[in-house]
Amino acid sequence: MSEVILKETLLQLVNAWIAGGKVVSGPAFVKEGVCLYTDLRNAEHLAMDGFIRPGDSIKKYFFPRHEKIYHYARTGQKLELTNAELTPQERIIVGARPCDAALLPVLDKVFNWDYVDDFYTLRRKATTIVTIACTQWDDQCFCTSVDLSPAAEKGSDVLLLPMENGYEVRCLTDQGRALFAGKTTVSENAALSPEGPERKFTEEEIAAFLREGYENPVWRDIALRCLGCCACAFTCPTCHCFDIVDEGNAQGGSRAKNWDCCQFNMFTMHASGHNPRANQAQRQRQRIQHKFRIYPEKFGETLCTGCGNCTRNCPVSLGVLNTLEAIRACGTTANTVENTGGLKE
Amino acid sequence: MAINEIQEQMRQACHRLLEEGKVNVIIGYGQNKPGTPAFPVFIRKPEDTEKLVWNDQCFSNLAAYLTRKDIKALGTAAIIVKGCDEKALVVLEQESQIGRNALYVIGIACEGVGNPSAAKCARCDVRMPRFADETIGQVPESTTPEGSDPELSAFLKKTLEERRDYWMQELNRCIKCYACREVCPLCYCNRCIVDKNRPTTIDTSSTLKGNFAWQTVRVFHLAGRCVGCDECTRACPAGINLRLLNLTLAEAARENFDGYRAGMNKEVVPLIGSYSQQDKETFIQ
Repeated sequence: MSEVILKETLLQLVNAWIAGGKVVSGPAFVKEGVCLYTDLRNAEHLAMDGFIRPGDSIKKYFFPRHEKIYHYARTGQKLELTNAELTPQERIIVGARPCDAALLPVLDKVFNWDYVDDFYTLRRKATTIVTIACTQWDDQCFCTSVDLSPAAEKGSDVLLLPMENGYEVRCLTDQGRALFAGKTTVSENAALSPEGPERKFTEEEIAAFLREGYENPVWRDIALRCLGCCACAFTCPTCHCFDIVDEGNAQGGSRAKNWDCCQFNMFTMHASGHNPRANQAQRQRQRIQHKFRIYPEKFGETLCTGCGNCTRNCPVSLGVLNTLEAIRACGTTANTVENTGGLKE
Repeated sequence: MAINEIQEQMRQACHRLLEEGKVNVIIGYGQNKPGTPAFPVFIRKPEDTEKLVWNDQCFSNLAAYLTRKDIKALGTAAIIVKGCDEKALVVLEQESQIGRNALYVIGIACEGVGNPSAAKCARCDVRMPRFADETIGQVPESTTPEGSDPELSAFLKKTLEERRDYWMQELNRCIKCYACREVCPLCYCNRCIVDKNRPTTIDTSSTLKGNFAWQTVRVFHLAGRCVGCDECTRACPAGINLRLLNLTLAEAARENFDGYRAGMNKEVVPLIGSYSQQDKETFIQ
């Protein structure tokens, strides 16, 4: 026995949410071949097929690429600071992928750790996630290698599992139940559980390499083709580094939080001109270390949902998956003698 | 010549170069599986030349690696180029960024990349590389296209407001990942102006204003230099039509400076590096 909804009814529901004044976001084609999470005009705007997953992630709805923290104004000797107003819009994300929804319990940890980030948490509270389980995956997908699956429930308020003519509806939170109350029917049938991509690695073997292979020369080979852009990190559900900048002039302006990324040379550049991560090998190592050792050790969560966006969006097809495959293929966890100088210049 | 014959000859040439010790590294293409995008590889042993591929998935303009410290450290290089990539070598040489004598260029006859073919391939007139040390394959050269690009001509017929609205929509999606900058063989500044923060000159924020500032600076800095390899457009995760922006400036160079096209002629003084009292200034208003 399961609760189900017809596709048609779901789309009517999306229109009703929009008509009711909610902001509804979901996958939409912004142009041919480019599917991104977008604020939907209506249910027809929602892309239901023709793509594996959107090229970006839902993290932008909680942690936008640019956010003003406070404003400053100076008159004579007087300096006035005002907090940026924060009244998050109520939002429903429909058609999120399980590898996107899963970012929320992961990022909750860091944004509520030694300091509660109101910007993130208030938006989080105002948002309901209606996830659609995947029935298709490509060579870049590896959710099953990081303990998730095409029908993972992690982070979702509602999980919809595709079946003939509609979806099996699994309401996972009160927020989710409120959205679908009275809209579903009971059925004898239930959706089949999709298998997902073949498991490519275990987190334990990667963590073991990362603990022992810090100076392994394989990082140099991996990083050679990396161009040092941040298409991977900015489209990654879980990458969450930011920079603080001041924009304005002596009279007034604001302090803002902008996405930043460990693959940029500037990320670790000191004011002295010294850069502790002076080459791309060190920067690539950092990204993987953060995802599969540092964050898990600190917060008990892997900083990767296996979505594959890094590889798909990389201009030279380098991503977490092929990096981890290169690590496994190099066959040794020990640092080699010829590399006693490590990855430093 | 069939594509697999070209690939075989290319591998043989690379094998020979490494074995003879003429070069230390081959900058070429590798691929995991047919039909998926090829990616740059750096081959240092003759036996590894088997990993090199040539097919219509070889999009990257490998010239972008020539000015990079980590790649220069590998020693003397041989590079695989298509005709369009080779234009970037011409500009890099004109701008004294590479020593052409210390570089071995393997040109590959190209019938277009992508399936269907990339937009740039429709008007390509450099299917045969022109300055390579060695060219592999033979394809009939197409004629130089007349007039400006049809997409650009159609766009320029729109009103100023329509064009502004279009760019607002496009650039609003920019997330400032700088993939466009990093794949560009001609964006080789040691420190890009957007990374200068003492003081900050260009808003680093990815707001509409900041995005306009960045893309305007980028395209102006490439005016008369961009060779139209369209790598920025391919790299953009937000699908921004950077190609159209680049074409606008390339067309301005062509129209105002006797049909100048970047990377076509090694002998001419580069547009940005020359000055004449007859230079028109009417377009700066």
